[in-house]
Amino acid sequence: MPSPRRRLAAALLLLALGAPALAGDLILTGAKPDKLYVIDAAKRTVLHEYRIPGANGLVGSLVPSPDGKRVYAVINRMESIVGVDLATGATVFRADLSTPTERVKDFFALTVTPDGRELIAYEVPTRLKPSEYEVEQPRFAVFRTDAGLKAQPVRVYPAQRRMHMLLMRPSGKSFYALGFELYEYDVKTGRLLGTRGIQHWEMPGHSQPDLLAFWPVTEPTGVFTSPVYAEAPQDGKPTPTTALMSLDVATGALDYRDFEPMSALIFSTVLSPDRRSAYGVYSTLTKIDVPGRKLAGRVPLDHTFYSVNVATDGREIYMGGAMCDVGFYDAATLEKKAILKLPGCADQALASLRVLAAH
Amino acid sequence: MPIRSVPLLLALLVLAPAAPAAAATESGAALVRTWCSGCHRERAPGQFERISDIRKTPEGWVMTLFRMRQVHHLALPDEVHDALVRHLADTQGLAPAEAAPGRFALERRPNVQDLDLGPELGVMCGRCHSLARVALQRRDADEWLKHMHFHMGQFPSLEYQASGRDRPWWEIASTKLPAELAALYPLATPAWRDWQARAKPELAGRWVVVGHVPGGRDFYGTAEIRRDAAGEYRAQYALTEVGGGALAGESHAIVYTGFEWRGRGTLGGHATREIYAASEDGRRLTGRWFDPEHSEEGGDFTALRADAPAEVLAVLPQALKVGTGAHVVVVGTGLAGAAAPSFGDGARAVVARREANVLEADVTVAADAAPGNRVVSAGAASGRLVVYRQIDALEVRPAYGIARVGGGRIAPVTAQFEAIGATRLPGGELVSLGPVAAEWRAEPFDEEAKRTADVDFAGRLEANGRYRPAGAGPNPKREFSGNNVGNLAIVARARDAGDALEGRGHLVVTVQRWNTPPIY
Repeated sequence: MPSPRRRLAAALLLLALGAPALAGDLILTGAKPDKLYVIDAAKRTVLHEYRIPGANGLVGSLVPSPDGKRVYAVINRMESIVGVDLATGATVFRADLSTPTERVKDFFALTVTPDGRELIAYEVPTRLKPSEYEVEQPRFAVFRTDAGLKAQPVRVYPAQRRMHMLLMRPSGKSFYALGFELYEYDVKTGRLLGTRGIQHWEMPGHSQPDLLAFWPVTEPTGVFTSPVYAEAPQDGKPTPTTALMSLDVATGALDYRDFEPMSALIFSTVLSPDRRSAYGVYSTLTKIDVPGRKLAGRVPLDHTFYSVNVATDGREIYMGGAMCDVGFYDAATLEKKAILKLPGCADQALASLRVLAAH
Repeated sequence: MPIRSVPLLLALLVLAPAAPAAAATESGAALVRTWCSGCHRERAPGQFERISDIRKTPEGWVMTLFRMRQVHHLALPDEVHDALVRHLADTQGLAPAEAAPGRFALERRPNVQDLDLGPELGVMCGRCHSLARVALQRRDADEWLKHMHFHMGQFPSLEYQASGRDRPWWEIASTKLPAELAALYPLATPAWRDWQARAKPELAGRWVVVGHVPGGRDFYGTAEIRRDAAGEYRAQYALTEVGGGALAGESHAIVYTGFEWRGRGTLGGHATREIYAASEDGRRLTGRWFDPEHSEEGGDFTALRADAPAEVLAVLPQALKVGTGAHVVVVGTGLAGAAAPSFGDGARAVVARREANVLEADVTVAADAAPGNRVVSAGAASGRLVVYRQIDALEVRPAYGIARVGGGRIAPVTAQFEAIGATRLPGGELVSLGPVAAEWRAEPFDEEAKRTADVDFAGRLEANGRYRPAGAGPNPKREFSGNNVGNLAIVARARDAGDALEGRGHLVVTVQRWNTPPIY
């Protein structure tokens, strides 16, 4: 049997060559204080446990490079971004955002261009003056991914406040930014290309919605989804209601649809490969009938999970975040198939669980 | 400023004297110059950026210096820290009237309703900390604006949190709130100007003391307060527990801002912290003492100068049932005198002890005595006693309480309930009898709490109405491995009343507070 490292190398090679399916999914997750895990989904085993030097208690918002060879993460109290080589665990990119006179946080929002050459981070800066702080305008900082371990931005653009996610469009010309509203920015110039409603969504009779997501999952469909909470009229009364927001990052199609009067909290969702089902987790695993706009199933979980994903073939649900378990559930029956405990029961906290398809 | 570079840190250390002695001899302003002006520029003699534009309570200054040490790595020796807090609280404190509305927060009273500053400040500020914390500070608009910059810089997640992300938090905080807060809590006020000009009360002397610990314990006795060589106060307490024995205590206190008594001591062998306020005339000390490890556990404290004009501080117990007798203790000033004390119509008293500050009597109430208020008179002082036939109403206090699971780094937080009885007079008036003995039980507050068996997991209710929460952490025996939280009804049944008479309170057992500052 090949060693885990050789197996990963083979999988990555297949990825790179676009070879036919021989291997299953790889799962990436992070954990406190400085861990990055590469998991063989089919075998329910940890292929690699990497340590990210200087992570300082946080490994969040995992964003794989388009070629699947690296993963980027927000670390160090949200003040640094690293890129880790998935075959070796070596840190191959690092941008420390803060300086002695400016504290800069990236609120888990980063994205990478389709050619893998540039990384865009959302920066929330504060000027540190001798006896006072000065809140500065947030901005996008663009880094070259080959800039090494002392990366400095090559372009900087002003941004809105309170953004929490960036999603690159496949053209590589623009990216979405989620915050008060859904914004689209030009990659090269930073020009705001458009604004569409999140707080100002067009849902007749609905209250201002609430959406906050730190899990930038678009695999396997290229569609980002998230639960949205609002009050909607039900029998003439405002009733807490859960909607599913979906954004196709390729076509730009943005959709909101109510699917249940709120009866469970959901932190994150993912869309099935056939786009007919969405799955959500928190203390339950929820299955949503997307075209039918209704709840299709719900089972209690052993404990809270924050981050959900789905197998590339759509047959299994993967879940992580919150504690040290990675869960594998049957996508059709919602039955628990396996729990993988991370070594030393490392706490995944807010880390996003990402899937690298090896076919 | 955050001291991020080693050279800067070293520069500060060089500025610093090697200095317990320096702390004792340097004036307050000189200490600020030595220890703070590296970052807080002295813009005019004795005027330091930021520092000179703020007034706060002693606890407020402690929190500021904590941050300077913790966040900005200021290497401040303890004795300098203490001297700075004294200097700043004395010269940039709050007048008694200014501190009064937020005193409950300084006293760390559990389960009290926070100040109501309207819906916007309630959400903008009060969703993270008490509004009392706001009300215990004074700044002008430009300084309140700097305070907003500090908030966003130090706690950048606050515009992402629930009730922060639903609005343009920063825009509101940086445009609207500074002027609003400056109108409510400005730096310069007549109250502060007047208080600064006044001679501050001398608190040494003999005092009469009463104390009440929720859950059924009352104390009375005396305090001897003197000044030590350093000019700080030393108190010796000689107390008696009603229905119990003698209880001795002592404390070492500093009085800040001329009236803010902060003591640390012991009572009955247990460590205490004292947060008291002297009245402006210096005749009265009121406040709360508590266990330093469990600030929710403590008692109400009132002391009156033993030579103050005649006044009854307490009648213990404050209610007597017809046809029964009790040993009644009256505590106050001016209680001695030639005339026999009176407990009112239908009450016969045999005096057991009578001094200027305490009167003890065995009081019997006739079976046919009319229920109602009685005036207790002794010497020139008068107080109140209630004669009742039955308990007609029972109220559980607090009506809404919070307990917190704990263990490990964060101790659990208990919740103490009391059953307050009341009797209905023939005229229909409901008169409070004070705390009455009760049997206690916890029930599920609603159907969901019943389904999740909160009563079994959240903790236990002791015989005196104190709820002790269970341990923290995921519990595999609970649904979703949930924490031992609970939503409970706390039910009291008065021992001295029919079975049907119950009072109900609401208890939420919730998760730990991970930061426990002096002002929540």
